[in-house]
Amino acid sequence: MSAITLSGVVKQYPGGHVAVRDLDLAIPDGSFTCLLGPSGCGKTTTLRMVAGLEQPTAGEIRVGDRVLDAVDRGVYVPPEKRGMGLVFQNYALWPHLTVLRNVEFGLRMRKVPAAARRERAMEALRKVRVAECADRYPSQLSGGQQQRVALARMLAVDPEVLLLDEPLSNLDARLRLEMRTELKRIHDETGATVVFVTHDQMEAMTMATHVAVMNEGELQQVAPPVEMYERPGNRFVAEFVGSPPMNVVAVAEPLGGLAGSLLRYVEKRAGLSAPGCVGVRPEALRLAAGPDAPPADAWSHEAAVETVLPAGSSWTVQLRLDDTEVFAVTHEDPGVAPGDTVRCWARPDRLHVFAADGTRMTAWDDATAPVGKAAR
Amino acid sequence: MAVAAPARPVSRGRRVLYRARVLLREPTVLLGVVLCLALLYLVIAPLVSVFSDAGRVQYGDEARSGRHTGDWTGYYLWRVFRSPVSRLLFWEPLLHTLVVSAGVIVFALAVGGSMAWLVTRTNVPGRKFLAAALVVPYMLPSWTFALAWLTLFKNERSGGQVGYLQGAGIATPDWLAYGPFPIIVTLGLHYYPFVLLLFGNALRRIDAQLEDSARILGAGGRTVLRRITLPLMLPALSSAVLLVLGRVLGTFGTPYILGLPSDYNVLSTSLYHAIRDRSTGVASVLAGVIVLVGVLVVVVDTRLVREQRRFVTVGGKGAMDRRADLRRWRWPAFAVGMAVFLVSVAAPVLTLLLSTVTKTPGVFRADNFTLTFWIGEDIPGAVGFPHGVLRGSDLYEAAWNSLRIVGIAALVCGFVGLLIGYVVVRGDGGRVSGFLRQVSFLPYLVPGIAFAAACLSLFAVRRGPVPALYGTVTLLVLVLVVTHLPYSSRSGIAAMMQLGREPEEAAQVAGARWPVRMFRIIVPIQKGALVTGVVLPLVSGLKELSIVIMLTTSGTQLLTTLSIGLVDYGYTQLANAVVLVIALLSFTLTYLAQRLTRSSLASGIGG
Repeated sequence: MSAITLSGVVKQYPGGHVAVRDLDLAIPDGSFTCLLGPSGCGKTTTLRMVAGLEQPTAGEIRVGDRVLDAVDRGVYVPPEKRGMGLVFQNYALWPHLTVLRNVEFGLRMRKVPAAARRERAMEALRKVRVAECADRYPSQLSGGQQQRVALARMLAVDPEVLLLDEPLSNLDARLRLEMRTELKRIHDETGATVVFVTHDQMEAMTMATHVAVMNEGELQQVAPPVEMYERPGNRFVAEFVGSPPMNVVAVAEPLGGLAGSLLRYVEKRAGLSAPGCVGVRPEALRLAAGPDAPPADAWSHEAAVETVLPAGSSWTVQLRLDDTEVFAVTHEDPGVAPGDTVRCWARPDRLHVFAADGTRMTAWDDATAPVGKAAR
Repeated sequence: MAVAAPARPVSRGRRVLYRARVLLREPTVLLGVVLCLALLYLVIAPLVSVFSDAGRVQYGDEARSGRHTGDWTGYYLWRVFRSPVSRLLFWEPLLHTLVVSAGVIVFALAVGGSMAWLVTRTNVPGRKFLAAALVVPYMLPSWTFALAWLTLFKNERSGGQVGYLQGAGIATPDWLAYGPFPIIVTLGLHYYPFVLLLFGNALRRIDAQLEDSARILGAGGRTVLRRITLPLMLPALSSAVLLVLGRVLGTFGTPYILGLPSDYNVLSTSLYHAIRDRSTGVASVLAGVIVLVGVLVVVVDTRLVREQRRFVTVGGKGAMDRRADLRRWRWPAFAVGMAVFLVSVAAPVLTLLLSTVTKTPGVFRADNFTLTFWIGEDIPGAVGFPHGVLRGSDLYEAAWNSLRIVGIAALVCGFVGLLIGYVVVRGDGGRVSGFLRQVSFLPYLVPGIAFAAACLSLFAVRRGPVPALYGTVTLLVLVLVVTHLPYSSRSGIAAMMQLGREPEEAAQVAGARWPVRMFRIIVPIQKGALVTGVVLPLVSGLKELSIVIMLTTSGTQLLTTLSIGLVDYGYTQLANAVVLVIALLSFTLTYLAQRLTRSSLASGIGG
């Protein structure tokens, strides 16, 4: 009903800068979709185009069956007629109106009678737990309260599409955690389609039902978060999603060191020729100091421990393999110290192989999958 | 990879339709184009017109130049720069302008600089009082001082009553009564607050940590001053010098009042005479020169400021709040500050006030005091203005004209300024925004009197559908709006920048159409900026003389032109009374405006 479809959407600014390139994106009805990417990747522009605040240079935007923008057909629906809800990064509460009047504004525009308006506004404020602030002005509220009022203002008109532009980035860590659950709850209660822009992958991974990663105006991959993490579609996604990031080693001539041994391993194991790079997530990298031998068909390599960073529940170990720095994360004390030499390896199904153009070589996944499943 | 557009064939017409639909929904672009056209007509066209007049035969000059009206000619350039009269028309006024500017700059820097140090960096008693009191001269019309000077030092050379000193039997030499010396002193007294504010701000903004670092590295107090503090003050110094220069270039009242009796002309008065003599071509050349010099000054200033911005430090936490202990010099320092206040505010105002209640100047006997000049019904000898200023309708008509004309101009200014801010911020930094930003600021570069001459050259005659506007209220309002637009548009742009576009977009997404967004969201939020944008032009417009002197006729007399008219008649007391009324009005409004907008005068500097 309110699935959002973008097809062939291009946004080029007058100066020539292309913010979004030929974007095809289908956001399922009722999903919680995060647009994730580094700053300047076009995610906010995309959101603003859906809201109607920016106009695409080419392409079409639809919600359900309703065409909102169709450049080639001359169709344009202005933002005030789209009936969406939008929360800005800095909340954009109107400083000259009380909280209640802020929340009532959308209903006033929809010509809802005064009594009903007040009732619905108060209900929205109760929903986000700031009803007691109704008669105050935005400047008298804390950041967290302002955030909630902005949410209430959006929810009061009961939109089917909720757009959120980095709404949590101005909050402190604790409030942010609290608001994440709040947003999830609101999503569950309203059943609306949520589009959430963020550069924080933690936010995306924990809240979203779908994650769309963008980079330099191009869509990289759309997938549920776990799939995104376990099977990144290309090298950019592999390196962008996850912290510490995936260790990706490019294969270069002449072959030698870590890259060479990985490549030979991949070639031998799956008969793949010309992979561009090979990656392994830090937590998939296993360490053993001493006689613990790696499994028979796993790739393994000598490494020198550089630093060990304990973080309570996990340990991050920085290693030097030949001339490459890699990270490993363990959930038990690795029992190593800087200067130690360890052997490290990873199970073949935990290796990610990318072609020279950065796309994932699924042939490797196919070759290792059965073994991987069995070993798990 | 990058595909600029889908490959399928696209109907161009449909795309245009799409753009048109967007534009219709988004009045910003339309508004921007309208504003651009208006500014082109009101700012660019007069300047083009004045430059073109400088090179074309004007009506009535056919015989002298031997060509037809409207033909291109170098006659006026020759007349101004090379002819036998060029010395009188241009070279002497230029020299005088340079002398006066240099003098005023030195005077203002010396007084303003030392006062700035006194009120920001020392523990002089009554700092707050001095800081406020020493800015007052700037709130008075600049030629208040000139009139006060004449009241004190006028001698028998020019007609009318003599000054106090002459009246008391002390002959005042011409150099003391008229010409460069009094002009420099009186303009200096008007412009030193300018330097004080600029320097004061700069001193306050210097981070104390910068000086502390030098101290820790072993520099003594004097070395710190010489190597750290003073170099950091350079941007403020160059700004002050160039802006005072620009102001002096365009000022009319003081050099007119104090220079006329001894035929001491500067560029602005020479321009005025050329226009009064109806030698339009010469006037255009002179106006062109003033415009070019004015533009040059500001371009140099922005260059220097940009150059020096590299080492403008971001203050904030470490900002200076440390004061030198003057010890036993505290009270003497206070006395110096008070002396400056007395000389620059109390003395001129008191002199003027006394002069308006005495029959013969400088004689303080009971029978010499009179209220005739304020409320008298019949003043002997004053044929042109035979009653006290508070009698009859002249003062009230002029006051009403001033308030009405300046008031309308200020209101227009405020709204247009905010609209410009709106378009600049909403328009995606495209060409329209850039153009509006630049052109609305352009009048700032052009000394007022030259801009008035330019407007006169464009609007004095009928052009196409636009009737001749000379002598009309419309022309006065237009010129006042354009010349004060820089302040309003700057305040509008700053306010809109600070607000950003989100509040409006939030309303848009919530379903509000453009008029609702404008009048329910933008205007209420920006009412403070709007008030500033109206009040600044109002205050500065009321005491404006240079701009309006050439545009008013007997039907549109303003307070300022009324006062100058009385000076021309030689009715010292009456002129002084009127200028006191202006001073009172202007001071009250400035004070109220500051209370109302909680802004300091510094933000409206240059007004």
